[in-house]
Amino acid sequence: MEFRKITLVGGGGFMGRSLAQKMASSGIDVTVLEVSEERIAQAREAMANSLDDELRKWGITASEKKVVLSRVTFTTDPTQAADCDLAIEAVPEDLALKQAVMLRLDAVCRPETVFVTSTSTLSVTEIAAASGRSDRVVGMHFMHPVTRSKIVEIVRGSETSDETFAKATALARTLEKTMIEVFEYPGYVVTRAVVPFVNEAMHIVMEGVASAEDVDLALRLGFEFKMGPLEYADRVGLDTMLGWMEHLFRELGDFKYRPCPLLRKMVRAGHLGRKAGRGFFEWKGNERVRSEKEVSR
Amino acid sequence: MKVLVLNCGSSSVKYQLIETSLEQIEANADVVIAKGSVDRIGTGSAVHTFQPAGRAKITESGEILEHREALTQIVRMLTHAEKGVISSPGEIDAVGHRVVHGGEKFTTSALASPEAIAAVEACVPLAPLHNPPNLRGYEAAKRILPDVPHALVFDTAYHQTMPPVSYLYGLPYVLYSRHKIRRYGFHGTSHRFVGWRSRHLLGRPREETRLVTCHLGNGASVCAIDHGRSVDTSMGFTPLEGLLMGTRSGDLDASVVFHVMHEEDLTEHQVTTMLNKHSGLFGLSGVSNDMRELLAEEAKGHERAKLAIDLFCYRLRKYVAAYAGAMGGVDAVIFTGGIGENSPAIRARSLSGLEFMGIEVDAEKNAAAIGTEADVSAHGARVKTLVIPTNEELIIARDTVRLVAGAENP
Repeated sequence: MEFRKITLVGGGGFMGRSLAQKMASSGIDVTVLEVSEERIAQAREAMANSLDDELRKWGITASEKKVVLSRVTFTTDPTQAADCDLAIEAVPEDLALKQAVMLRLDAVCRPETVFVTSTSTLSVTEIAAASGRSDRVVGMHFMHPVTRSKIVEIVRGSETSDETFAKATALARTLEKTMIEVFEYPGYVVTRAVVPFVNEAMHIVMEGVASAEDVDLALRLGFEFKMGPLEYADRVGLDTMLGWMEHLFRELGDFKYRPCPLLRKMVRAGHLGRKAGRGFFEWKGNERVRSEKEVSR
Repeated sequence: MKVLVLNCGSSSVKYQLIETSLEQIEANADVVIAKGSVDRIGTGSAVHTFQPAGRAKITESGEILEHREALTQIVRMLTHAEKGVISSPGEIDAVGHRVVHGGEKFTTSALASPEAIAAVEACVPLAPLHNPPNLRGYEAAKRILPDVPHALVFDTAYHQTMPPVSYLYGLPYVLYSRHKIRRYGFHGTSHRFVGWRSRHLLGRPREETRLVTCHLGNGASVCAIDHGRSVDTSMGFTPLEGLLMGTRSGDLDASVVFHVMHEEDLTEHQVTTMLNKHSGLFGLSGVSNDMRELLAEEAKGHERAKLAIDLFCYRLRKYVAAYAGAMGGVDAVIFTGGIGENSPAIRARSLSGLEFMGIEVDAEKNAAAIGTEADVSAHGARVKTLVIPTNEELIIARDTVRLVAGAENP
């Protein structure tokens, strides 16, 4: 196996946990680096819960759950990253924060170790510039949940070497993801295309053309999508969605990325989607509350 | 000659060094010199267990990242000055590899050649989890022991004699011609071995013997053997079909899969894992996939343990009767595999009700037959019931010897 040990900085976050679980399930030893014992306890519990969900869905066995958990080590000690084959950062989308992480990793890791940034919107080149090894930094934009999604966007910064890119491709293969090669540009493919789509669905609801449920139903059944754009936004988190839109609007300046006023209003009201129990739809835990009309479909 | 037998999984290698020859095969006098396994390959904490015959077991742990390294360790262990059993790798005369899927290409075991390996590679889509590690093991062994013959022994090959009425599904024929969707059957080496051994014990020529062999382990299958050839078997395109197994469902209406996927919102992976790892004895009982534990629970009054065992026995009984029907009669029923060799209760319960066909088990003889070759039929029964322990590694070693000597398969 090409990757024995991978360090995941910020692996206790939403995306980080899912990525850690996927990597451990693929046979890789994962060291999750977090800022506090409290974050570690949360991350550990969340990962155990997620594996229990998969066990309830018959996707793994009890012994496989144990094996996966045994491959993940949680720590607050950055020197634990010293001997890893690859380091991935999955800290919040904040340029200064991501740059600080690169700097700290550079101080402890071997010079040849490749760093991956999991940014969905920021510039890989800019993040890499702080690493002291910009040719060995590459972007990998995973989709949530990493355990189920089928693709990953691999992003070349302006200095990323072919060797580094190949390393990211190998990781994608190990994680059984189809790789989409993208060149650095705001929003890459996935985020850039989905933002106006979701935004338009929100406008349709705001303008009173159809209910949120019917908009989703129309698009889901009409185009055979797995879920509608509003349910997707609820799952991602409406605050996160708003963040993506503001970023694209700012970077590209095009009005098609301007966040729908209804979205702003909902975020201000704290109706953030699944995690808040309420967004465009009502939620109970991880499940959407569905009307009879929808259930019959 | 000394044959190294290898069974390579995705993260493990099981091996045995066996001394055998055509004469030893005839006398059933093969000798296991040592056996062992390397587990958790690909990690820093791989475990190598080595058991030289008649000596203490040795366990070592360390980093083993791939199959080639595992093979190097195995050969080093076998030839180790103190722990080992041979003085140099040159003492290994041949290597026998277990290969799960030989598709329609292999009807018997075969010596490895570039063409044979290419054919095994072509079967990867039929066994995506098993054939790749089998091939990795072969490549590693070939590199370390390049000058000796390597034999490939397939789980599927023995069943290639099945006629189309047995091996085809009632699907559009184009699926067979286009994708080779058909029943292949597995456990072929085991069915072949106990079939051969039972004819030997019965003293009957193969032309006059109709057998139903029951390989009952965590995976389980039944085979109808007529004239020494497999004419039907219960596992199909994959090992999922047929009997109720430890954790596999066995026979199932395919519509259930889609209905459950929809109702429980399951992915393809989840439903596959459900059918293969969460079903069968384990899924029905909610207790265990281990027949010994289930029998113990049943004795304590556990209802679902009893239900699971009853279902297991009932389905086996149906297959035994069906295969007798398929062959127009049966001369002997043979039990093998962990459950088949060691559980008199399961043998008796599975066959009870088949007295009308001449199958009758002697309670005392049956109770005494645990892990040994035995005739457990009642006095004067028209159909013999036999217990014959199987030994996959031994069969692989024997096939290797025969291939090297140019002798025919039994």
